[in-house]
Amino acid sequence: MDIQRLEIARLFHRTGFGPKPGEFAQALRAGVASTRSKILSPPSTVSFVTPPVLTDLGPRPAPNSPDVVDFSQQLRYQNQQLFLWWLDEMVTSPHTLQEKMTWFWHGHWATSVGKVNYALPMFNQNVTMRKYALGNFTEFSKTMFSDGALQVWLDGQENTVKAPNENFSREMMELFVLGVNRYTETDVKELARAFTGYQVSRSSGLVTFNARRRDSAPVTVLSKTAAMSPEEVIAHLVAQNNSALFIAERIWYRFVSSQEPLPQDHPMVKAFANRDIYALMKSLIESSALSQEQYSMVKSPVEWFIGICRALTITPSQLPSPTKLAGYFEKLSQVPFSPPNVGGWPVDQAWLSSASAQYRLSFATSIIAEANLSELTSISSVRRPAYLADLLGVVEWSSRTSYAMRGVRDNPQKLLVTAVCSPEYVVSL
Amino acid sequence: MIELPRVPGQELGMSRVTRRQFLKYSGVVAAAAAPMLTVDQIAAAAVARPLPLGTPILVVVTLYGGNDGLNTVIPYQDSAYYSARPDLAYKPETLLPLSSDLALNASMTGIKSLWDANKVAIVRGVGYPKPDRSHFSSMSIWQTGSPGAHLNTGWLGRWLDTQTIDPMTAISLGGVLPPLLVGAKQSGSALPLGGLSIPRGVIGTACQRLSVPSFSDNPLMAAAATSMRNLFNVSGSVQPILAKPAPIAEDLPTISGGNAGGDTNLSQQLDVVAKLIAAGSPTRAWSVSLGGFDTHANEANAQALLLGTVSKSITTFLSQMKASGRSKDITVLVYSEFGRRVKANGSDGTDHGTSGPVFLIGDRVTGGFYGDQPSLSKLIDGDLAVTTDFRDVYSSVLEKVLGAPSEKILANWKGRVTALKG
Repeated sequence: MDIQRLEIARLFHRTGFGPKPGEFAQALRAGVASTRSKILSPPSTVSFVTPPVLTDLGPRPAPNSPDVVDFSQQLRYQNQQLFLWWLDEMVTSPHTLQEKMTWFWHGHWATSVGKVNYALPMFNQNVTMRKYALGNFTEFSKTMFSDGALQVWLDGQENTVKAPNENFSREMMELFVLGVNRYTETDVKELARAFTGYQVSRSSGLVTFNARRRDSAPVTVLSKTAAMSPEEVIAHLVAQNNSALFIAERIWYRFVSSQEPLPQDHPMVKAFANRDIYALMKSLIESSALSQEQYSMVKSPVEWFIGICRALTITPSQLPSPTKLAGYFEKLSQVPFSPPNVGGWPVDQAWLSSASAQYRLSFATSIIAEANLSELTSISSVRRPAYLADLLGVVEWSSRTSYAMRGVRDNPQKLLVTAVCSPEYVVSL
Repeated sequence: MIELPRVPGQELGMSRVTRRQFLKYSGVVAAAAAPMLTVDQIAAAAVARPLPLGTPILVVVTLYGGNDGLNTVIPYQDSAYYSARPDLAYKPETLLPLSSDLALNASMTGIKSLWDANKVAIVRGVGYPKPDRSHFSSMSIWQTGSPGAHLNTGWLGRWLDTQTIDPMTAISLGGVLPPLLVGAKQSGSALPLGGLSIPRGVIGTACQRLSVPSFSDNPLMAAAATSMRNLFNVSGSVQPILAKPAPIAEDLPTISGGNAGGDTNLSQQLDVVAKLIAAGSPTRAWSVSLGGFDTHANEANAQALLLGTVSKSITTFLSQMKASGRSKDITVLVYSEFGRRVKANGSDGTDHGTSGPVFLIGDRVTGGFYGDQPSLSKLIDGDLAVTTDFRDVYSSVLEKVLGAPSEKILANWKGRVTALKG
C-alpha cells in the first residue's frame, strides 16, 4: 500500500469530510507535511452558509386549539431548515477541521431534537459547538452547562434542592468530561446538588437561575469541598488529569480507531495540558497515527454522504426532496441532531448490516442521479476508475472492486454507485 | 473483531448450494457460460431448509432505558414500597395480584393471563455484581454477558460462533445490529421493518462482485463485503415471506424517557418475527427492542403505556404463533439494563438503580417466581440488592432453549435458574 496516499486519504476523510474535486491529486503532489499544515491553518475568511431563520415558537398550543396545526407546521419546517443548513455547511465549509470537530462534539454532548423538539435551542447548541470546536475545553464545558437543549435533554430543570435528579451530573462525568468509573457514586450525588437551581424555557432554550431551587450548601466532588457554582465545579472536573486522558481517548476513538485503544502516554494527552482543543488536534494530525495501516474505520452514514456530495459538488438543500433525504438518513440510523442516545453515534461494524448495505445503494443511486457527471463521461472507460480514486480520495481499488467496476464502467452513474458502495469507500482504510 | 473468512462457501451461509454453484454466484469463476443463481432460486433454497418443527426458538426483548422493576412486579403489601415513593406507588386495588405479596402493573393484563396459564417465569432481583448505573456500561454488560472483563462480542454472538456460518441463524429487527448478536466469527443479521430487496440488473451484478470475500481484506473491509453478501442471502430468503411489509408506525412517542436507545415499534417488530417464524425461517434467535424506559420524570403514565405495549405485543405474538404450530417452540426473554432507585426523585420519576425482574415466557417455561425478591428494608445505598445473577438466566437459556453448552460462552458460570423445561 502507498503509505503517503493512505495518510493523505485519511487526512481528508478523518479530519474533514473528504476532498473536493482536484484537492486530493493536488495534496498528493504537495505531500503529507504540506497537507497537514494546510488543515491546521485554515482560511481566515470562513464563508458560512446563511443560517436558517428560527423563531421562538413558544409553548405547544393545546391539542384541540386552532393554533396547533400552524404550530406543528412551523415546528417541522424549522427543524427541516436546521437539518438542511448543517448538511450544506458540512459540504461547503472551507474550514474542514472545524466542521468535522463540530460534528464530533455533536456526538460527544449528544443531544437529540427528539426530546428537545424545538429547532432554536438545537441551533444555538450547534453555534456553541462551532465556536468552541477547536477552542478551550474548560470554557466550552462551562458554557455547555447553560445550554438549553442539553438542560432539557438531561432533565436539568428537574434537579432541585428538594429533589435532586442525577441525570445531568452523571453524564457530565461519565460521557462529557471524565469517563466511566473515574468518579464515585457519591461524586454523582454531590455534583447533582451543585447543579441544582436552573430552569429552562423549552422553546427558546433560555436557561435561568431560581435561587429557591438551589442547594447552596457546600458539596464534595472529587476530593474538593466547597460551595461551588456549576461553572466552578465543572472547571474542577475538567482540571482533573483524567479529563485530558478522556478527551484524548474520545478523539482517538472517533478519528483514529475504535478497535484499538489509545496507546499509553500518547502525546495528545500532554498537548491537552491547557485544555486547548486545537493543540490536541495538532498533536494528533502531526503524529504518525494516521499513517499506520491497522487503524481503519467505517465511515458513518453522514460522513459517507457528505463525502459524496463534496466530490460531486452537490448541495444537499438543492436535492429534489428534503423529506426523502431525511428518510434515507433515518433508514441508515443517523439523522443529524437526532443521536440515538446520550452516548452518541455507534461505530464501525454497527454501520455494516445487510440493511445498511441496501440503503447505501439506493441512497447513492438517488444522489448520483442529481450529479453533473460530464467530466467523468468525457474520460475513456478504462481511465475512469483511476479518476474516481482521486476524485473520491480512495487509497486504492481492490482487485474485487476493479472487477466489479469493469462491468459498469461504460455507464458513469452506475460506475459511481459501485465505487461509493465498495468496501474501500465505505471504510476509511 | 471479525476474522477473515476461511471457508468462502460456508461463510456465504449457503450450505444449500455446492461450492461450484457458490463460485458461479459470486463471480469468482469467470462468468463464462454458467448462469448466475436468480433471486427465485435463493428464495426457494430458503424455503427448502425450513427450521424443523419442534426446534426451540429464542426471542429476546430488550427494554432500553432501565425499566422500573419495582413498578412492574410490585410488592403491593409492603408498607416500605408506599413510603419510598408516595406519589409513584400504585394503589393495591388497581393491580393484578400474582401472589400474596407481589402484583403486576395494571397495564400488563396479557402477561397476567399467560401467568395464569403457568407460562410466565418471573426471575426476581436480577443483576450482576457491582451494579453500574450508566445506561451504556450496564447495557453493554448485559449484552456482552460479561460484568468483569470488557468483551467485544455479545453472549448470543459467542453462541453464533459455535454454529454453522449462516446469516439467517440470528436476526435483529431494526437497521443497526445490537452488540448482543456480535460474534467473533459471525454476527447476526439486521432486518429493518419493511424488509430488504435484492439489487438487480448490472448494478446487482456489480454488488455481487463487491461482496466476494477476499484474503487481502482487513477486518472492517471484510465486514463491509459481508454486509453486502448478507443482503443477497437474507433478502433472498426473507422478502417473499414479507410480501406485504408492515407499515412503520410508532407505538409510543418517546418524549419523557426516550434518550437511552431502543426502537419504538415493538408490536410491528414482533409481527414481522411472527410471519418469518411461521414461514419456517431457519432462525434460532431473534432480537427486538423497545426504548423509552428512562423515566427520570413523570414516570407513572409513561411506564404503564410502555409495559402495556410489551404485554400486549408479546401476547399477540404468542397467539399468532399458535396457528403456525410453533407456539410450543418459543421462549421469550424480557430484560432491561437496570432497575431504578427505590425512592422517587421528586420529578415524579426515578433515577438509575440496580436489579430488576427478568421475564421468561412460553410453553417451555415452568411458570412461577424464581430468585428472591430483594428486600425493601435491606437496601444497599438506597438500591435493591441483586439476588440472581443474569448469567444464571443466560446459562439456562443457552442450555435449555438453544441446546448449547454455556461454559465457553459464559466463562464457566455455574449458576442456573430452573424455570425452563427440557
